[in-house]
Amino acid sequence: MRWGLPALAALLLFYPFIFTGPFYWDIGVAFLLAAISASAWNIVGGYAGQVSVGHSMFFGVGAYTPLLFYHLWGLPPVAGVPAGMLVSLGLAVAIGMPTFRLRGHYFSMATIAVAELIRIFVGTWELVGAAIGLQGPAVGRAWWDLTFRSELPYYYIFLAALAVVLYTTFAVERSRFGYYLRAIKAGERAARSLGVPVRETKLKALMLSAIFTSLAGSLYSIKTGFIDPESGFGILVSVQMVIVAALGGAGALFGPLVGALILVPLQTATNTWFGGGGSGLTYILYGGIIVLLARFEPGGMHEWWQQRVTPFLARRKHAA
Amino acid sequence: MLLSAQNVSKAFDSFLAVRGADLAVAEGEIIGLIGPNGAGKSTFFNCLAGDTVPTTGRVLFDGIDLTRSSAEAHARAGIGRTFQVPATFEDMTVLDNVMVGAFLRHRHRADARETALRIIEMTGLARQSAQRARSLGTPGRKRLEIARVLATGPRLMLLDEALAGLTPAELQQAIALVRRIHELGVTLVIVEHIMEVIMTLAQRVLVFNQGHVIAHGKPHEIVANEAVIEAYLGRGHHRRREAP
Amino acid sequence: MLLVQVIVGGLLLGAIYALFSSGLTLIWGMMNFINFAHGEFVMLGMYVALLVVVWLGGGPEAFGFAAAFALFVLGVVVYLSLIRHVMRGPMLAQILSTFGLALLLRYTAFWIFSANFVSLPQVSLSGTLNIAGILMPVPQLVAGVAAIALTFALHLLLTRTTVGSQLLAVAEDRNAAMLMGIRPDRMQALAWGLAAGSAGIAGALMAVSYPWSPSVGETFGLTAFVVVTLGGFGSVPGAMYAGLIIGLIQALSAYWFGPIYKDIVVYALFVALLWLRPQGLMGKA
Repeated sequence: MRWGLPALAALLLFYPFIFTGPFYWDIGVAFLLAAISASAWNIVGGYAGQVSVGHSMFFGVGAYTPLLFYHLWGLPPVAGVPAGMLVSLGLAVAIGMPTFRLRGHYFSMATIAVAELIRIFVGTWELVGAAIGLQGPAVGRAWWDLTFRSELPYYYIFLAALAVVLYTTFAVERSRFGYYLRAIKAGERAARSLGVPVRETKLKALMLSAIFTSLAGSLYSIKTGFIDPESGFGILVSVQMVIVAALGGAGALFGPLVGALILVPLQTATNTWFGGGGSGLTYILYGGIIVLLARFEPGGMHEWWQQRVTPFLARRKHAA
Repeated sequence: MLLSAQNVSKAFDSFLAVRGADLAVAEGEIIGLIGPNGAGKSTFFNCLAGDTVPTTGRVLFDGIDLTRSSAEAHARAGIGRTFQVPATFEDMTVLDNVMVGAFLRHRHRADARETALRIIEMTGLARQSAQRARSLGTPGRKRLEIARVLATGPRLMLLDEALAGLTPAELQQAIALVRRIHELGVTLVIVEHIMEVIMTLAQRVLVFNQGHVIAHGKPHEIVANEAVIEAYLGRGHHRRREAP
Repeated sequence: MLLVQVIVGGLLLGAIYALFSSGLTLIWGMMNFINFAHGEFVMLGMYVALLVVVWLGGGPEAFGFAAAFALFVLGVVVYLSLIRHVMRGPMLAQILSTFGLALLLRYTAFWIFSANFVSLPQVSLSGTLNIAGILMPVPQLVAGVAAIALTFALHLLLTRTTVGSQLLAVAEDRNAAMLMGIRPDRMQALAWGLAAGSAGIAGALMAVSYPWSPSVGETFGLTAFVVVTLGGFGSVPGAMYAGLIIGLIQALSAYWFGPIYKDIVVYALFVALLWLRPQGLMGKA
């Protein structure tokens, strides 16, 4: 599919001009954000097979630090982005180091416990806004406050971030590190016997994933200008990342993109159809989708495509 | 001595799978390890390869004490092994499987790829290099495991029933492959049930039963050994010309 | 003294934690599988109790039994329809399966019962006992004692009965068990039923004294994780002790630092455990 990638890039670049107006731009931005965070999760959850169900901890940290920098010191929120990444790195090490030498469940349990721990704690800490949360600058003091009225600038900032995450994932895929990640997922014992430094590799994957997830969180809070414990550290944030990546194809480069393409419009639709009780029904649906994925096609759409569609197309080409 | 195991024991709760086993392998040798099922051969292998830590005893490789080292450390030191039940990376292609092994000696993809392709050619897997490991049958998987571990450039290879379940023709090919690997300078310790393999390849044979070595010597000596025959067939059987 | 009361209260609640956590650790030890929906099983037990009391006017025995039975069935159904198929597969599928199930159960409960906190109407057990100056509410006392008894009964079932030894045989070595004529599939389904059933009845016992909403499943699930880690992989006796300890720690944290901190301390303890002693009290990690 030589023309596939340039076509995709063109579509993403020109989308806001093909589908104009705040409604479409809003969905576009939501799509990009979902794709970025799911792609970040994908590095450790999809490629390395270490299933984090508490990734909101990194997202939340990345979301809080920019607004904290503004709230405490009046700095432009962007200044807080590297700090968020640093703290997220620290969290990754704190969780990864003890659990990556144990069986896989410990890691997953730890991620959900720590995310909850932070959520509750932040909800009681006055300095970071407690249950009320933090706000960003209502009106931008200069361009670097990044408070735009229109969605359009955010769209392109997010698009750039997505490009960075995807390119990094692509580079990882082709490197020794990437091969080692996949080997760990495919068979840890065999990987060890081939000299793969399993614990270090998993840790590196988690750290890389944490940095990008933190970035996603920062982008989110800079754009919305608001964050609170639930929207930063809530379990639904973690669920979103997992389902978007898994539906599209965990461990595939464009899996999260495909997942976001399906789920973001779906979520917009269900929120309008189901109205007030909307979020409840949406999550029942999400739960059902995740169970079905686990049961029938854990590899997601990507695997389904590879197993069913590609051979079918190849046969047709041969017949022709 | 390249590999030396001294008084190695491994206990699982109260069950002693390996009791005081010794092994001495010189560089360039091919050693056969035989014994009935459940004798502790695979557990012993796991101790040698670093997959498990022995309860007592020492494992020395080229003079370095690897007893408590990880499996990764063993691999990096130059010990490679295959698994009794093939543990190939099912969803990765044959080429990618071998490349994982090759990356132990090469940093860069291009170099790893080159080594991997060379080894794939040598092990006769060239036609399937783009297929997923999952699509190979058991003999194919065993061959892939050999290729993969060979790509790590080991000085010593522990083959755990790597030649089981092959047709006579495949068996001859496999024996030839093992010979070629030996010619490359790799020292081999082979666990096998197939006597033809042991007789044709092994220079020395160790017989395992109930967790320790009950006999050792040249292949033709072992076949005639009373204790060995008893181990396989139980008491009351007399010497037979055929192998167990 | 207030402190002693806090301690007793903590232990009584801890007994309930022990009950539902022992099911989780049984499954973990037997099938190397962690049920991320276990907290939801407890939550559902609470709602079953509510329904029995409100619709059928049942008393404690009725709703306890109903919760145990309903969740037993659910456990078996979940095993047969889902777990059995993902058990042998990739870790992603295993974890997603019960994680997704948890969401499904939790949000369905939100949809049916709304997010409001509810509690069980006054039942036959009420009042407060005064033993040596310590005030103990009867419902909590009875629930705690029942929980300990049931956990112990589960332990006896596993170690003293034929069925129990069959379950443990499958946990030890599936293939050997098959050779002995034991059907692993059946045993595993039974284990899921027992685990879910004990979670359900634990929920019913808790419903007697504490209000709840569908959101409690998440907290109970996490508490169970901490308990089974502290207790040790697969150890039911370990879960018993660990449950009591966690209940105690929670009560003391709430007393000394404030109610918000009761969960924070437990989760922080979890992380510390992973760093310092992941094999827990009883075992191997």
